Amino acid sequence: MLGAVRGYVRAVDAVNYRIGRIVMYGIFVLMGILLWSSVSKTFFVPSLWTLELAQFAMVAYYVLGGPYAIQMGSNVRMDLLYGGWSLRRKAWADLITVLFLIFYLGVMLYGALGSTAYSLGYWGSEPLSFFAGLVTGSEEVGRMEQSPSAWRPYLWPIKAVMALGLFLMLLQCLSELGKDVLRLKGEAV
Amino acid sequence: QNKITWRMQTYAGAALAAEVIDPAIRMFNTIAGDRMEIELFYADQLVPTGELFQALQRGTIDAVQSDDDSMASPTEVTVFGGYFPFASRYSLDVPVLFNRYGLNEIWDEEYSKVGVKHVSAGAWDPCHFATKDPIRSLADLEGKRVFTFPTAGRFMSQFGVVPVSIPWEDVEVALQTGELDGIAWSGITEDYTVGWADVTNYFLTNNISGAWIGHFFANMERWNELPEDLQTLFRVCCEQSHYYRQHWYWGGEADLRVNGPKMELTSIPDEEWATVEAKAREFWDEIAQESETKARVVQIFKDYNALMESAGRPYRYG
Amino acid sequence: MPYELIATLMFASMMLMLMTGQRVFGAIGFVAVVAALLLWGDRGGYDLGFAAAMKLMKWYPLLTLPMFIFMGYVLSESRIADDLYRMFHVWMGGLRGGLAIGTIGLMVLISAMNGLSVAGMAIGATIALPELLKRGYDKRMVTGVVQAGSSLGILVPPSVVLVLYAMIARQPVGQLWLAGVIPGLMMAVLFVVYIVVRCRVNPVLGPVLNEDERNLPRAEKLRLLRAGILPIVIFATMMVPFVNGWTSLVESSAIGALAAFMAAVLKGRMTREVFENSVRNTLGITCMFMWIILAALAFGAVFDGLGAVKAIEALFTEQLHLGPWTILILMQLSFIIMGTFLDDTAMLVIVAPLYVPLVGELGFDLIWYGILYTITTQIAYMTPPFGYNLFLMRAMAPPEIGLRDIYASITPFVLVMVLALALVMSFPGLATWLPGYVYGN
Ligand code: NA
Ligand code: NA
Repeated sequence: MLGAVRGYVRAVDAVNYRIGRIVMYGIFVLMGILLWSSVSKTFFVPSLWTLELAQFAMVAYYVLGGPYAIQMGSNVRMDLLYGGWSLRRKAWADLITVLFLIFYLGVMLYGALGSTAYSLGYWGSEPLSFFAGLVTGSEEVGRMEQSPSAWRPYLWPIKAVMALGLFLMLLQCLSELGKDVLRLKGEAV
Repeated sequence: QNKITWRMQTYAGAALAAEVIDPAIRMFNTIAGDRMEIELFYADQLVPTGELFQALQRGTIDAVQSDDDSMASPTEVTVFGGYFPFASRYSLDVPVLFNRYGLNEIWDEEYSKVGVKHVSAGAWDPCHFATKDPIRSLADLEGKRVFTFPTAGRFMSQFGVVPVSIPWEDVEVALQTGELDGIAWSGITEDYTVGWADVTNYFLTNNISGAWIGHFFANMERWNELPEDLQTLFRVCCEQSHYYRQHWYWGGEADLRVNGPKMELTSIPDEEWATVEAKAREFWDEIAQESETKARVVQIFKDYNALMESAGRPYRYG
Repeated sequence: MPYELIATLMFASMMLMLMTGQRVFGAIGFVAVVAALLLWGDRGGYDLGFAAAMKLMKWYPLLTLPMFIFMGYVLSESRIADDLYRMFHVWMGGLRGGLAIGTIGLMVLISAMNGLSVAGMAIGATIALPELLKRGYDKRMVTGVVQAGSSLGILVPPSVVLVLYAMIARQPVGQLWLAGVIPGLMMAVLFVVYIVVRCRVNPVLGPVLNEDERNLPRAEKLRLLRAGILPIVIFATMMVPFVNGWTSLVESSAIGALAAFMAAVLKGRMTREVFENSVRNTLGITCMFMWIILAALAFGAVFDGLGAVKAIEALFTEQLHLGPWTILILMQLSFIIMGTFLDDTAMLVIVAPLYVPLVGELGFDLIWYGILYTITTQIAYMTPPFGYNLFLMRAMAPPEIGLRDIYASITPFVLVMVLALALVMSFPGLATWLPGYVYGN
C-alpha cells in the first residue's frame, strides 16, 4: 500500500515538475506578446489579438504552473499557530486541510468541464456524459463558442487548458496528501 | 406561500443601471410585494459577461438584460443584437421591427431552441464614437483601439479600427491607462452618465446604427414555473423599461449635443460617410450568406428600410 | 437564514480555516464554493467558482504582475544594485547614521524599479545589512531600516498593490501610481528624520564611516554617481511612454521587465543561476498571487450575491448611526489589527472587496483611499506574527540577527508609518495633488 503511495507521489511530482519547468519560460512568451503589442502599435497598426492572446498565455502560465508552485512551496500559509508546530503535527493538520483544497479543486474542475463542454456546443447539464459520448461517438461537437471580440478566437482550447491545469493541480494535491501519509508513517519525504 | 426570488444580471454597470434598469426592477418588486422579488446585479458582478448566457441556461442566474452580441448567445440572431450596422435609424425602428415585422417570432424561435426564454426586445441609444483625438475623416479612424460590440467591431475593422473587448466596468480605466483610444458603444447620454465623457474629448456625430437592440431573457424553467400574472407583470415592467429609455435617450442625446460642456462635436462629411453605409450593405449580404435565418432577418431589415425611405420625411431624410 | 448572517458565517469560517495554517487559496476557495453550493447548488452554484476564473482572465492589468515580479527578481538576483549601494555608502558615510540614511535612499530607488517589496527586502538584507553591521551600526535599527524601506516598493510607482487595488476599486492605475509618489517620498523623509534624531541622541547607533573609506578622490566619487543613472533609466523607459499614453499599462510593464533584464545582461550579471532563479521564482510568486486572487474572486462573487456590502453599510450608517469619518477610521483600525495576523496579499484580496465599495458608498475619493489602503497594507506587511518580511528576513539576514531582533526592530518604523497614515488622512492633497496636476482635473 505504502509502495503504491510512494509510486504515485513520484510519478505525479515528476510529471508536474516537467510541465512546470517548461511553463515557467512562458514569462518570455507573455513578454514577447506584450512587446510585440507595443512595437506594432508604435510603428504599424495595433494588432487585434495581442491583449486576448496575452490573457490566454497568462492563464496557461499560472494554471499549468500551479502544481510546480505547490512543489516549490510557494503558497502562503498563515503560520501564526502552524509555524510553531512539530513536523508530525503539521503533517496531521495538512492531512486534513488538504481535503478542503481537494474539494475546492474538484468543484472548480467540474465547472471547467461544464464550461469546456459548453464551448464545444453542449448545452445540457451532464458534461461528463457529453465527453464520454464524444469518445463513443454518441455525441458530437456542436456550435463552438467564440470569444465576443473582433478577433473571435474559439474558446475551447483555453478552457481545456484550464480543465487540464485544474486536473493536474488535483493530482498534485493528492500527491501532497500521500506525502503527509508517508510522513506520518515515519518516512522522510 | 414562499416568496419567489429571482437573480437578474444586467450587462450595464451601476452608473448606467441606475437609469436603464433600476427603476423597472423597483417597480416590479413594489407591485409583486410578498409574492416575488428580483435581486439585481450589475455587469460582471456574479458572472463575467462572457459566461452570462451559459449561466442563464443553467439557472445560475434567472434573468438577464443584455444584447445578444456582447453575451455571445449561441444563436443565429446574435450578430443582429447590439448594433448591426445601419439596420436602424431611430430608436422607434426597433419596436416596429420586432412587433410589426416579425422579429419577435424569429427571436422567440431561436432562443427556444437553446432553452432560453426571450421575453422582450427594446431599443437603446445610437452608436457613436467617443475618442481622445478628433475624428474628422475616415482616415482618422485608422489604428484607433476602440471598445465596441463584437459585430460592430468586425464591421468597422475594415476601416482600420481595432476593436478591443474588455469588461464594461474597466473601460473608463482603460481609456486612462492607454489600453483604449476611444469607444464606439453608445450615444452621448451614456458617455456623460457613466463618466466616459470625462476621459474622452471628442464625439463623432455620425453613427453606425441609430439604435441598439437589447433584450430581457429568462431561464426557461424559471419562466414556466411563474404564475401567469407574474409573467405578465415581468413583461410589463420590461416594456416600461424600454419606454423609459425611449425618452431618456432621445431627449438626452439632443440636449447634451447642444449643452454638454465636456465633449467637442466632430463630423465626417456625408459623402465620405456614405461609403461606410455602402459597405454596410455589403456586410449585410455577407451575413445573409451565413444561414437561412440570418438571410430572413437581413431581408426584413432591407424591406423595412426600403419602406421607410419611400415614406419620406420625417421617417427618412434624403 | 438572513443574508447578513450567512455573510458573517462565511467570513468567520474563512478566518478559522486560515488559522489551521493551510494554503491560503485553499481556505478561501473552499469556503467560497461550499457557500455557493449550499446557497445555489440546485441552480448552477457549482459554476460560480469557475466563472471567477473566466473573470480573472479578463482582468487585463494582472498581466503586469509576472512582469513586475520578474523585474524585481532580476534586480535582486543579479545584484545590479550593488553599485548603487556603494554610491550611497561613499556619499552618505560621513554623516552620523549616514549609511542607514543611504539605505533608505537605496530603497527608494529600488522601489521605483519594481512593484513589490520583495526585491527591496532581498537587496537590503543581502547587500546593505552585512555592510552596516560591519561598520558597527545597531542591528535592531538597521534591520528595521531595511524592512521599512523595502515596504516603499508598493507605494512608490510602479506598484502591484495599487494595480490590484485599481482593479477592485475600478480606478485608473496611472492616477493611483502618481498619488503614491508624494506620500512615498514623505514616508522616506520621515524614516530619515527618525534615523537622524535617534543617532543624534545616541551616536553609538550609527557611527560615522572611517576616513579612508569615504575620502575617495573627487573624480572617483563622481564616477560612483553614475550608478544612480541605471534606476532612473529603467524607471524612465517604463514610465515615460506610459504616462504619455504611447504604450499601455501592460505593455509598459513588459518594457520595464525587458529593460531590467537587458541591464543585467549588459552588466554581465545575467548568469545561468541568476536566470534560473529569476524565472523559477517568478512562476512561483505569480502562481501564489493568481490562485489566491482566483479563490478570492469566487468568494467575492458569493458575497456580492448576498448583497453583503450593502448590509454592512446599512449596519454602520442606519443601525449604529456612525458618520463617514468614524467608519473610515474604524475601518483603518480594524485593517491594522487584522493586518497583524494577515499578510498583505490576503489583506488585499479578502478585505479590499469588502472595504473599497463601502468607502465609495460613503462618498470618499477612491484615489485618496487607495493610498491610505496601501500604507495600511505596508503596516500589515511589517507587523508580526505574519508578514513576508519576517520570513524573508529570517531567511536572508546575517546569523547574528535573531527573530527577536526582527520583531523588535519594526516598532518605531510602524509608528512612523501610522504617522504617515494620519498625515495623508488629514491632508488628502498629499495624495491627490500630483495626479490632479498631471492629468489636469
Ligand atoms: Na514600486
Ligand atoms: Na502582518
